[in-house]
This record gives sequence, structure tokens and C-alpha cells, in this order.
Amino acid sequence: MQVGPKRDLIKGSSSYLLLSLLERQPMYGYQIVKELTTRSQGYFKFKEGTLYPALHRLEESGLISGRWQMLPNGRQRRYYHLTEKGEAKLALEKSQWQDFLTAINLTLQPGTSRP
Amino acid sequence: MIPELSQYLEKIRHKAKLEDDDGSAIISELEAHIEDKLQELTEAGLSKEEAMHTCLGEMGSTRLVARHIYEAYSQGTWKQVLLAAMPHILFGLLFVLNWWHYPGWLFIVLMAIFATAIYGWWRGKPTWAFSWLGYSLVPVLCVGGLLLYLPRGWSLLALPVYFPLALWWLYRIIAHTSRRDWIFSSLMLLPLPIMLGWFLAISPNGKLTEYSLQRVDYFAPWIGMSFMAMALTIAAFIRLRQRRLRIGLLAVSGCLTLTLVVYYGTGRLNTLTFLGLLIVMWGVLLVPLLERRLRSGRLLIWKHKDTPATT
Repeated sequence: MQVGPKRDLIKGSSSYLLLSLLERQPMYGYQIVKELTTRSQGYFKFKEGTLYPALHRLEESGLISGRWQMLPNGRQRRYYHLTEKGEAKLALEKSQWQDFLTAINLTLQPGTSRP
Repeated sequence: MIPELSQYLEKIRHKAKLEDDDGSAIISELEAHIEDKLQELTEAGLSKEEAMHTCLGEMGSTRLVARHIYEAYSQGTWKQVLLAAMPHILFGLLFVLNWWHYPGWLFIVLMAIFATAIYGWWRGKPTWAFSWLGYSLVPVLCVGGLLLYLPRGWSLLALPVYFPLALWWLYRIIAHTSRRDWIFSSLMLLPLPIMLGWFLAISPNGKLTEYSLQRVDYFAPWIGMSFMAMALTIAAFIRLRQRRLRIGLLAVSGCLTLTLVVYYGTGRLNTLTFLGLLIVMWGVLLVPLLERRLRSGRLLIWKHKDTPATT
């Protein structure tokens, strides 16, 4: 869903990002896009129409669940929330990402290894 | 709804080949997303036209969004895999286990196939129903075969009537099934060239004789194997998400199965017959696409004629 040079770096992390965003509260699609842009300070930019197929895949895997809600103005929105399976998956992915980032930081720090 | 927005959503629905249930839900979500964004952009001071242009640009092209949707929604479940592969498995078992000798088994298998095909058609032609529909075309071929047994004069009279009628009926079925997606029509027609190949291998003069039935006995394991190969093809087809891979799978698997028919029908099928069968196979795969293209072209011409001239 990402365009530009960061594409390959981000490709494998899109489900982790979506699960992280839904960790605090249920959200609808447009809210997810805005929250992602705000939290990443505009780093993650993607074609917004591709968000919904990604959400569908997570829903199909049982990691999130969606529910239509009627708004006072008569419009409908589909809110997504994490399932128990999604919470467990998020915890696992979080731990893996933290290990990965620690390893990257250690590798990039100059002069820390001994001959 | 704004015409530009409805056109955008309709194009996505059409290109993503969405089924009604999935289609309505995802199109409603996209619509809600775009309306939220339009409202925000117009409140920020953009004109309606500017807001729409920005919004649709950030949503992505209809081709990109439709491709992502197709890949997310197209994969069938394992239950659908089993249902779709079942007619090929049943036909395969008829030959592998030599059940074709017993009229009872033949009757049961054929009845199961017709009943399931009718049920699938009645239930709105779900993906799994197309492989069953293909086998329900077999009686049309059988009627053509039976006409060969008429006295010579009668055959010459009946065949010119039969061929246009059979082709018209086949065209109607293809036109009807390709409305949803031409690739499913190709899937439906896939067994026909394989069956034709085996028929030619056992009876090159076009008539079933005692000797032909002996040949069926001889070829039975390979006939069964070719149906099992089709069952595997269908299983992979249902599980694949990418459309290009699905088309490639049908083309490659169809040609490989035909090669198997020709290889084991050695002495009966020469190179010329093989090339003829390959052409039939490509025709089977591409006729539904051609029908769709012709239909959309015709619709475009009609729309063009209906549009009043603008200055």
C-alpha cells in the first residue's frame, strides 16, 4: 500500500501498523488514515483506497473485527477493533520489532565491537 | 451521489469483479471514506471540484484499488476448493476405479452433477458452481455423438440443424456466465477439450464401438489422471489471489493436460490433432474474454449513439 522508496521497508509491516493503531480504540477507515499520518508525522503515505483490502485481510485472519454503526446524521461507518487473537499477534509482533530495532541500532552504532 | 464519485465507485466494482454481498459492503466503506474526506477538504476552503480531484487522487486509481480489492476478496475457502474440485474428482474416480462399467454409478454421478449445477445456478452462480456447470454441457456433446448413429440421410439432415443450435446454446451459456467474470466461463469450459481429446483417442472415426470401449479400459487410469489434474488445477485456481496467476494456471494446466492426453493416446492422436486440440483449448480459454470485449464494445457504441452531440 506504500508508494515511494520506503515501499520495501514498510511492505512487511503494514499489518503491524494497522494492529497498533487499533490497539487503543476502535476506529473507522478514514480515522485510521488520519491517525497514521499524525502519529508518523506524514512518513507513511499510501493510496487510501488500498486500506480497505488490507483491513479485510486482517478481518479474514480473525485479527480484527468490523461493525457498522449508524451516526446521528444518518450516515454509516464501519468501526474496526482488535480481537483477542489480534491482541496476541500484536504483542508478538511488537516484541519482534523491538528486538529487530535494537539489533539495527547496535549494528549502526560505530565502534562498539571489539576485534 | 456526485456523478464523478459514483462513476469512480462503479469502475472499482466492475474491475474488482465483486460479488453482490462483498461488493456492497466495500463500496459503502469507500463511499463513506470519500464523503468524510470531501467534507473535511471543503471545510478547509477547497472548492467541490478541487476537493473531489484531491480526494480521488489520494484514494488511488480505480485500477490499483480494484486490483487490491480483487486480491483481498478473490481467495476461496477450503470448503469452496472441495466443492469446486468435486465434479472432476467424481469423473476421475469413475475411470480410476472402473466405475464407468456400472450404469448405476454413472447415473448417480451424472445426477449429482446436474443437481449441483442447477443448485449453483439457482444460488447466483458462486465460484464453486462453474466447474459443475461445465459438466452439464456434456449432454449437448452426447446428443451430437448420437446423431452420428442415425441412418446416413437423417444424419446429414440433423447435423446442420444441431451444430448451429448447439453453438447458439453454448454462446448463451458463455454470455450469461461471463457477465460476472470471463475467467469463470473459461474455467467452466476447461474439461470440454480434454474430453474431446479422449473421445478422439478412443474412437477416431467419431463412433463408439466395442473396440472403443476396450480402448477406454486401456486408457482408464490416464483418463482418471487427467480429471484429477483438472481437480488440482481448480483447487489452485480457487486459492490463488492474483488474477494473472489464475489465467496463467488455466492456460498452462489446460495445455499440459492435453499433452498428457496426446502422449497416452499415442498412435491415435497425431501432431495435427494435437495442434487442433491446442487451438480448441485456447479458443475455450479466450472465447469468454472475446465475448466480454464484444459486449463492452457494443455497449460503448450504444452509449455513444445515445449521447447527445455537444458543442
